[in-house]
Amino acid sequence: MISLADSFTLAFVAAGALLFLAGTLGLLRFPDTLSRLHALSKADNLGLGLIVIGLLPQTQTIAGGVKLVCIWLLAQLSAATASQLIAGIAARRQPDA
Amino acid sequence: MADVLTAIALFILAAIALGLFAVLRSRVAIERMMAVQLLGTGGAATLLLLGAATAQPALADVALLLVLLSAFSCAAFTLGERGAAADEPAEPGQSS
Amino acid sequence: MSPSTIPRLRPSRSALLLRALGFLALWLALIGTAANDWPFGLLAAAAATWASLALWPPDSRLSLPGLARFVLRFLPQAVVAGVDIARRAMAPRIALNPGLVDYQTTLPAGLAQGAMCAVMSLQPGKLPISCQASGAMLIHCLDTETQVGAELAADEAAFLRILPERGRHG
Repeated sequence: MISLADSFTLAFVAAGALLFLAGTLGLLRFPDTLSRLHALSKADNLGLGLIVIGLLPQTQTIAGGVKLVCIWLLAQLSAATASQLIAGIAARRQPDA
Repeated sequence: MADVLTAIALFILAAIALGLFAVLRSRVAIERMMAVQLLGTGGAATLLLLGAATAQPALADVALLLVLLSAFSCAAFTLGERGAAADEPAEPGQSS
Repeated sequence: MSPSTIPRLRPSRSALLLRALGFLALWLALIGTAANDWPFGLLAAAAATWASLALWPPDSRLSLPGLARFVLRFLPQAVVAGVDIARRAMAPRIALNPGLVDYQTTLPAGLAQGAMCAVMSLQPGKLPISCQASGAMLIHCLDTETQVGAELAADEAAFLRILPERGRHG
């Protein structure tokens, strides 16, 4: 018999793992660089977010939970900016990608 | 619980490895940069899961470091790219 | 996008202090409250405040209710975006129709456009590629068949509502 908190964790963490798998499949199967960039920036960051939410009940201290959320926010912020920067370079190199 | 979290961490690690294989196979520099992003996000997820599984909160610091490193390397890459392409028009073609 | 085009106003002292306290709080959340770390935290908060002056002009205010509505609108869309990618990537046959779409935004150049681009890169099937000061944007879409233009206009309208005045730093 597993506790409510543990089953919450398992559900979210498993969903996050599934999104990482989807991101990788997108990287392998999508035809062009920019589409692959879509897969990377969207699926993987949602995956990280789900894993962070799932791990929240497992943290021993409130500070630990706040830290997890801050890590995810920073990752999301940097991914949103980085994916645009990379996309800009990709489009400049091959305008009809 | 710890075993399950470790197993999921390993699953994500395998998924990242497969993705890295896909982007590193390409010769395009941009795809190499995507590998850095992939390693930052996926590595952070793996470390957070392992940290929860082994009750070692310090691993969250390593995850934070990975995220920051991938952000900074991406910014540095873009700045270098801009410097190299300074004599070209700054915006891509708008005829499409 | 260059910070030099933004008119420099003398930032009020209370706004600066508030910002520095925010950065210090972020530092404490990430690093912890051990006494040895405090000097570094104060240094980091001061450095972050100094850097933020150039990147985020202190006169730009957001409307808080607008921001809340905005988050409620865009958070589910970020989830939809991830699920959309997963669905496409796991489909037996890759059904993509990628292409570039032109869009003309009415947002003022600078921070507002930059933030709009960052938000848009989390939307399902869209990835902004370039944004000029004139408002001409180039967006890469996974599926150009859908009504991209209408979706973009709706997103932009929601984004405009978090700015209390239009053309604040235009």
